[in-house]
Amino acid sequence: MLTTIEKIIFIILALTSAGFTFHGFKVIIDSIRRGRPAPELKNVPLSLVKAAITVLFQRTIFKARKGLSAIHMGLFFGLITYAFVNLFDALEGLVPGFDLIYGGKHIPNAPTGLVNAFNLIADVMSIFLLIAITVFFARRFIAKDKALNYRENVLLNPKVKAGGQARDSLIVDVFVVMHVIAHVLSQAYRLTDGADPFMPFASFLNSIFGASQTGVHVAWWVSIGWVMFIIPYLSRSKHTHFFMSPINLGLAKQNPRGQLDPAIPLTMIEGQKFDPGAKHIHDLSWKRVLDSYACVQCNRCQDVCPANFYGRPLSPSALEVNKRYLLKDATFGSHPDRLLLPLTETVISPEAVWSCTTCYACVRVCPVGNEPMADIVDIRRRMLIDGYEIDSGVQNALQSLATNGNWMSKGKRLRGRWAKEMQFPVKNATEEPVEHLWFVGDTASFDERVIPNTKLVAQLFHQGGLDFGILYQSESNAGNDVRRVGEEGLFEQLVEQNMEAFGKAQFKQIVTTDPHSFNTLKNEYPQFGGTFEVKHYTVTLLKLIEEGKLTVKNKLANYKVTFHDPCYLGRYNGGFTAPRKLLELLGVEFVEMPRNCENSFCCGAGGGQIWMGKVAPGERPAENRIKEALSTFGEGAGDKTQLFIVTCPKDMIMYSDAVKTTGNEGRIEVRDIIQLVAEAVGVDEVVAAESISA
Amino acid sequence: MNIVVAIKHIPSIADDLPVKGNNVDFDSVDFVLNEWDEHSIEQAVLIKEAVGGTVTVIGVDLIGELDNALHLALAKGADKVAKITADDPAADSHTQAKWLAEAVKGMGADMVFAGVQASNDIDGQIGAMIAAYLDMPYIGGTSAIEVSGSAATVSKEFPGGVGMKYSITLPFVAGVQSAPKPPRYAPVSKVRQMAQTATVEKIAPTGEASSGLAFKKMAPPVATGHAEMIEGSSKEVAAKIVELLKSKGLA
Repeated sequence: MLTTIEKIIFIILALTSAGFTFHGFKVIIDSIRRGRPAPELKNVPLSLVKAAITVLFQRTIFKARKGLSAIHMGLFFGLITYAFVNLFDALEGLVPGFDLIYGGKHIPNAPTGLVNAFNLIADVMSIFLLIAITVFFARRFIAKDKALNYRENVLLNPKVKAGGQARDSLIVDVFVVMHVIAHVLSQAYRLTDGADPFMPFASFLNSIFGASQTGVHVAWWVSIGWVMFIIPYLSRSKHTHFFMSPINLGLAKQNPRGQLDPAIPLTMIEGQKFDPGAKHIHDLSWKRVLDSYACVQCNRCQDVCPANFYGRPLSPSALEVNKRYLLKDATFGSHPDRLLLPLTETVISPEAVWSCTTCYACVRVCPVGNEPMADIVDIRRRMLIDGYEIDSGVQNALQSLATNGNWMSKGKRLRGRWAKEMQFPVKNATEEPVEHLWFVGDTASFDERVIPNTKLVAQLFHQGGLDFGILYQSESNAGNDVRRVGEEGLFEQLVEQNMEAFGKAQFKQIVTTDPHSFNTLKNEYPQFGGTFEVKHYTVTLLKLIEEGKLTVKNKLANYKVTFHDPCYLGRYNGGFTAPRKLLELLGVEFVEMPRNCENSFCCGAGGGQIWMGKVAPGERPAENRIKEALSTFGEGAGDKTQLFIVTCPKDMIMYSDAVKTTGNEGRIEVRDIIQLVAEAVGVDEVVAAESISA
Repeated sequence: MNIVVAIKHIPSIADDLPVKGNNVDFDSVDFVLNEWDEHSIEQAVLIKEAVGGTVTVIGVDLIGELDNALHLALAKGADKVAKITADDPAADSHTQAKWLAEAVKGMGADMVFAGVQASNDIDGQIGAMIAAYLDMPYIGGTSAIEVSGSAATVSKEFPGGVGMKYSITLPFVAGVQSAPKPPRYAPVSKVRQMAQTATVEKIAPTGEASSGLAFKKMAPPVATGHAEMIEGSSKEVAAKIVELLKSKGLA
């Protein structure tokens, strides 16, 4: 079809485009390779295949925004189709006589059926693409969907503030529209023999514009010319996501969700000495640098972020976006020096760094496998080492943890005091062998508001004939939140103390009250040699009931309850069933909140937030959660008592406060699941009776 | 600028204080660094950061566990640390002040800081006594110390929001109430690094002193009364308060 001169121009253009594209991706790959070593990945080819399947079925995007995800799916299949369309367009241009119209009847021995099928798919996909792009365009530029914005107080790269993302989107939107229309027109102009039933859209255009050789040439050049421009452009745009997201998914974290990457890479590069955590962008592991290229800046992570929810200056997506713009300015632009600016000045404000609850919602919801939360922990790690002035409450907690092994400034010897008030002896696991080593945790051991529940747990373990003991003063805080605050050294110290205590004890498995302790004991202690079987108390209780060691005597039909999944039990460790099964066995009326299981909404206490001295204004996540529970209950619980059930000592505190501060006392009551189990099973001891009313 | 910080290891009150005979049961209590000493270390390090110099932290090792506190001081920016190896948990403030003064004498200090008080010594003895033994001027209750040349400007705060600034010629001894900034946090990894690499100078206690006081009896305080919690709705609570005030003849 093309004349010789056109062919020469095409080849020059194609080579130039390929050159820019190669350069673009080389810059990106070099930049990724400058990151620190990441934890070793196993069986990468298999992971990549799995990722390809995930991408093909668009599985990960449907975790949120279902409607837009469906549109995205149309766009995805449309663009996949168009990869072939462009290939054939190029062939049509370069190979004389190669023409797919009318089932490829001009091509000798063409598989007519196949060609017709392809033509039909390409034609229909062209319409899908135009619809999808129109929807996305309308969403950003006409409806101005707020989900694409950032809060005023969120640190943003100046170019993002100036609308860089919108411009980027607009360029790609215009490209797709022009490209698709030009392509379909180039086909329409070819239809010299009238309509092709397998190309309805092109035939329709043909009925308007007729056939034209000049038209074919012009439309072909517009369509392919755009491609020559857009492919190298993609490497400089957020749409690098086309290529980088599948790769990122294939190289995504393989370790358990609840296991943070080490503060200093375990794989050392010769001659390189690493400081803990991250100050500059290339202090992050290569995987986290890759994150910023995989990110398409959809802000789904921001939607689910509890800190962002109540007005804190944290947006996990802004973090990735800023990383990307920083890298772009430094590698494509003329500011390589910016790579040496602290991350706290370029990608995330210190205040935002300290707002993260490490709830993992952002990582969980990310369709492309990014881990903004991990960056934040790394930044905290370095801030602590560099002597950044941390919140006084956090500092007090850390100092107390270093000296007393708990964050409440309580003496070590007071840890087991509650146990001495029980009607039966609670074994000291460091002195006699036990089957279950109960790791009680700080809040459950020391907090007066929670101790009654702790006693109930002990009571029911005892009644169920469970052979258990505690570590008394040898227990130290497990260190989950210490590690997430970024105090790696203190975390290691706490692990050593606990490992020493475990070493003195004889036990078969560990049971914990606190999901936070549960998480680190289960997922992080193995790295320090602590390979134990670890269970959450909800699992242990369920087992006692299922084995008939505890019997439900009174069904609790007078309660209408909902259940809050604690982040570190649910989203991190998949502990969704035991609490729900327990509630079912207890005979309560159970209703599920809209945000449940994987999508549970953080109470706002994790990642050291519970230690913060300063409390930010705004509706706190826990308050919002109580409202969610109440609206789930709706009107007309009748004479039933409405309960908000928790399985985490921190939740007990957070939500009891939230019920008061939202003025909902009398409408909803916060209870630990143990209180319900106790009521249903029946507790004969005096201690327990006063606990329930407490 | 040569700054010496005299610190004190004291029984922790995070636990219930165990009593044995007529003193604290030193065998079953943890020892911690006096809270105000954290401020005097911070104050010293801030001055060092502003005008240069060295910070030496010294304390009496009562139970052989002072190293932790000294390593912490190093991690926060102290340059040298020393301990007076006494191994006598019952050594009182007078005795400790004498030992410290003897040890500090040869150090050529421009300034000596001590926490203005400690929970086992709330009349601010250590700093003042060191000053007396060293024959140096003493200023207590400081909230900020700034040095320029051979003089220092010392801020003090008084009740009722009154502040006062003093100009003092070096050398002097200060009882630090608070540093101008909250004491910094020392990451555990740094403290541990210090524990592995730093050397703690050991000094034998010299000199004798006594407060002349003897303990007669030590016992936990006995609660003589307790607050009454009024429960009920706000109206009921208000009614009860009114009733209570009437019954006391106050309304």
